[in-house]
Amino acid sequence: MTQQQVDAFRFTGKFIKKIISEAIERAPAPAEIPWTPVTLPLAEARVALLTTAGISMHGDPPFDMAGERNNPTWGDPSWRRIHRDADSTAVAVNHLHIDTRYIERDINVALPLRRLEELVAEGVVGAAAATHYSIMGFQGADSSTLENVSGPEIAAAMRRDGVDLALLVPV
Amino acid sequence: MGLVARQIERAGIPTVTLNMLWEFQRAVGMPRVAAIAHPFGRPFGEVNDAATQRAVLRASLAVFETAEVAGHVEHLNFVWHEEPRETRWHPLQPAPIIAHMKAHGLLG
Repeated sequence: MTQQQVDAFRFTGKFIKKIISEAIERAPAPAEIPWTPVTLPLAEARVALLTTAGISMHGDPPFDMAGERNNPTWGDPSWRRIHRDADSTAVAVNHLHIDTRYIERDINVALPLRRLEELVAEGVVGAAAATHYSIMGFQGADSSTLENVSGPEIAAAMRRDGVDLALLVPV
Repeated sequence: MGLVARQIERAGIPTVTLNMLWEFQRAVGMPRVAAIAHPFGRPFGEVNDAATQRAVLRASLAVFETAEVAGHVEHLNFVWHEEPRETRWHPLQPAPIIAHMKAHGLLG
């Protein structure tokens, strides 16, 4: 069966479509794509989620929005752990490029912690990781810290946590 | 996020990236992509719509079981319940970069 191709720009509007399309065309093609084979069934795997929504637990430092307001071409490149029992009352959501009120009402629209626990209870997924993860997606002119510092740190944290599979979700 | 996907995959953990802007794949090269036409900020579905959230999560996780080559893009067949012109996802205040570009005459 032929898949219907998703329209990536259905919700962007013409202006953002133009900016993003031009950025994609300008970028050099990636040299190679990393690949780690999946070696165990989903029903036996420990799954972690990673969102770009700028979510932080109350008690942890929130993502730095003042810094971005002062320097619009900069975005906070740090990362946070989100406990698997968190709900919308336990977190702050800081992201200046989306309407964060939906996530503030129901964290599962962007970080489906409850839905993952349900799939674990049904036996579809082996286990949920003890913590999940958030970054803040807007990186402005320089994504090197996110790529070369936060990315490897998150990967190392996932390995320590025994994560088998990671589902990453930009907002 | 694609850059982080590559780092996690390199560290030995398979990744799927659920992505609205999946065409970034040509520039970034993510290991496995689940493409979806949902509005920004709500990739899994509407507030309190547990059934859709669960279905999107299940479909995204299924890509771990079906993708066989690096760079695979799976197009998920979910239809948002509102037309784009009726769908509010923008921040209440324009993002700083947008305001910055307007102030410098960079928005045509």
